[in-house]
Amino acid sequence: MTEDYFNFTDKLFAREDIDKKAEALKGIRVLDLSHMIFGPTAAKTLAQYGAEVIKVEVPNQGDYWRGGTYWGKYWKHSNPLWHFINPGKYFVGIDVKKPKGKDLILQLAAKADVIIENFTSGTVEAWGIGYSQVSKINPKVIYASLSTYGQFGPRRYAPGWDLLAQGASGVLSVTGYPDTDKYFKVPDFFGDFFPAYYAAMLIFIALNYRERSGEGQYIDGCQAEILMRTLSHFTYHDATGESLGRTGNMDPTMSPSGIFKTRDGKFVAVAIATDKQFQSFCKALGRDDLAENDTYKKAASRLKRENALALNKVLEEWVITKDVQELSGLARKHRFAAAEVMDDVQISQDKWREERGSAILFEDDMYKKLLVEGPIAMLSKTPGRIKWLTRPLGYHNRYVFKKILGLTEDQIKDLEKERVVGTWDYRVGQRPPIYHDLSKDRMFNYEGGEDH
Amino acid sequence: MKEVRTIKERVYSRYLQKKGASKLSDWKNILTQLTTSEGKAEALDDMMVLDLSYANFSGNVTASFLAEAGAEVINIEPPEGDPSRIMSPYGANVKGVGIPYLMESRNKRQITLDLESPEGQDNLKRLVKRADILIETYAPGQMDAWGIGYRQLRELNPGLIYIAISPYGHYTAKGREMAEMPWTDLTSQAESGLAALVGDLPDAPEPYNWPTRAGFYAAGYTSAVGAACGGLVASFFKRRTGEGQMIDIATADAYASCVGFPPTIGYVWKKPRLRYGTLDYGLCPYGFFKCQDGYVAIACFRDQDFRAALKLLGQWKIEEEWKTLLDRITDDIEKVKELNSVVEKAVSKFTYKQINEKFASYSVKAAGSKWRGGGLPVTTKMMTPDEVLQEEHWQTRGTFPKIAHSSYGIVTLPTTGKMTKTPLRVKWISANIGEDNDYVFEKYGLVKK
Repeated sequence: MTEDYFNFTDKLFAREDIDKKAEALKGIRVLDLSHMIFGPTAAKTLAQYGAEVIKVEVPNQGDYWRGGTYWGKYWKHSNPLWHFINPGKYFVGIDVKKPKGKDLILQLAAKADVIIENFTSGTVEAWGIGYSQVSKINPKVIYASLSTYGQFGPRRYAPGWDLLAQGASGVLSVTGYPDTDKYFKVPDFFGDFFPAYYAAMLIFIALNYRERSGEGQYIDGCQAEILMRTLSHFTYHDATGESLGRTGNMDPTMSPSGIFKTRDGKFVAVAIATDKQFQSFCKALGRDDLAENDTYKKAASRLKRENALALNKVLEEWVITKDVQELSGLARKHRFAAAEVMDDVQISQDKWREERGSAILFEDDMYKKLLVEGPIAMLSKTPGRIKWLTRPLGYHNRYVFKKILGLTEDQIKDLEKERVVGTWDYRVGQRPPIYHDLSKDRMFNYEGGEDH
Repeated sequence: MKEVRTIKERVYSRYLQKKGASKLSDWKNILTQLTTSEGKAEALDDMMVLDLSYANFSGNVTASFLAEAGAEVINIEPPEGDPSRIMSPYGANVKGVGIPYLMESRNKRQITLDLESPEGQDNLKRLVKRADILIETYAPGQMDAWGIGYRQLRELNPGLIYIAISPYGHYTAKGREMAEMPWTDLTSQAESGLAALVGDLPDAPEPYNWPTRAGFYAAGYTSAVGAACGGLVASFFKRRTGEGQMIDIATADAYASCVGFPPTIGYVWKKPRLRYGTLDYGLCPYGFFKCQDGYVAIACFRDQDFRAALKLLGQWKIEEEWKTLLDRITDDIEKVKELNSVVEKAVSKFTYKQINEKFASYSVKAAGSKWRGGGLPVTTKMMTPDEVLQEEHWQTRGTFPKIAHSSYGIVTLPTTGKMTKTPLRVKWISANIGEDNDYVFEKYGLVKK
């Protein structure tokens, strides 16, 4: 008798074993020169799978996202929404505009496997830490420049971020209801996060290639272009001669589909993807007539605009007669896709996400408990993990400068005096939480010796 | 615009001539290398991928990403075809193949195998022995029941990387309970916290204030990029140790784990965010505003950017009230609406061209000046996909190659991934059912019935 499949997989992905397992990117050193969300998230993905990521910030200023937050609400002197973007990194404060600062960055760059930056095109070159300089001292390096419009093309110097990339790529123009003057952006900086994962994918491709060939290379991660990669609208336009435009809350690739209100005032998304699903959906509805109707039987005809709209109406009128629980039960019984619209609190309290490791209640030495996202992909042998949340600006200066660059305490003190390296100022987001006793913090006061 | 661009290039070039900066010619050489993929190596041309995606588009996209980086991707469908073929906006198709499927059929080989028959399973096993990655989207446990799941295939090939994509994943109690729930992008958007945030403000009329779908496969592509990242990390590990592993993706979660905001916000603030229309939770102003000939972005993060925007829009009089970032990231929606409407009124007086020129020349001056507090106001115009296709910038970058196919004619599709040594590229499309049966059966010694 073979073991039950889910018993097998539950063991394969057991959360309590994660810390004992290998790390795929162990020994890979990443120099993260980026700021805000796009670059840092790409670097975070590498840290998650075991790379040593050194994040460089300007002393007394730091990454601007340290001081950003939603609705002006901070948490333990930090932006709570900064912790899941930069966990498990080493934080150093170096002023790139000082010649000695630039030299320090180049020394780190010489020892790095991957470098990530997301300034406007040309900025790092002007600072003297671009690929053209670094590749001379470290030809095997993989150097990723991430920007809104890319490194070449007439708009390359235009600055931008999430919102602008959504606008420039066409993504913004496809969400909302037709015939209204409102275009909804995809929230939560999707225009940064998706391109960040895509950029990480390009870096993983380059790492695989380097493992085969020993060669490094330069990557041009173009945010707007990466967003375009998610749209079928371009192909649609050239194939049909028409524009798809906005389609409200229905999905025009599935019929019926939409998000509707239930009897108990909740919202449920329902979408029917295949002919088989349509047949069982009609059973749930008790509408054999629809199941046998030639107009609706086959996807090609069911998807036609007028047919889809007619079915959506039937679906909407059915959903309002059911409670959300009842609907979920029917969907499971009849094997069609239905899901309640989940909000922030429901997601944060979802037991499934916790068991899965998609949301992790992390116990951090400095910040204590915080619920943060887990990896998208769960790997059975080399799972992603979080080792610590973020740290204050320049917190790892001594660790990195002594351990990696071999500087002495006196040399670091001199650099501090010259304001080449440094830590935080009073502003929220840069400094440690008020209860944290720095004098007893061995990492902050690193003297040498044991690993972190 | 052209003139502004030239000034900007001059300003940047001046930096590059400074002591310690790079030689302009060195940088230009690197940029030139980015412009073409001709004659260049393919990073993954030693990798073989089996794509068994069935009625789950995220699987097809995962395979596409690897195919664009050079992997040999064999798409395996049942003889009647994958239902994803016809998941297409309003059923639009070219000779029976839907638009999204056509777009993701890049660099793939199309074969048919009946995985429920012993012959089909034997052929799959022959392929698995040679494969590096297998992607499947069947109901969790289905492949295992057929005798071709991860625990059987890893015996045949210990180096196999087995990527499973399903709505709730292949483990946990809920994964088991929901194993038969089919995939759709819309339900994944709903379940992962995206739909709850898209839509008009609570006081707007129904259904505009209802949860709304992001108008493309936002959850599907997020699952795919996560899966591809996982697969490539595992492949890196395999190159060092020879070991394969299993990878699990839950599409009902992927989006939440990608953007990360919903779990942390729910935990820290214990209060869900409501739909916010065209406003932004984090910043004001941060959005697109209607000008005389379209929509234009006004996004100010730092105080100096905000001051610059106020000056350019002729609204300096309100600066005192909204001076610091903390004033502009309030949770008081009435305050946000107030500032938003000031910007809205100001913007409505201009054309896009006027705003763009004001902003661009201001940022050029700021970049050229020694005073670093000048701010960098940024803007762009909202483009529709049709307009994007016409833009010189993307034409220069070769973002939309046109690929010819004997059945489908010329197909336009987006691609991205510029790299100096191993750029991503689209070489061909192959979308007919069983189009490459002969080639693949012959090449890998598969047995025809």
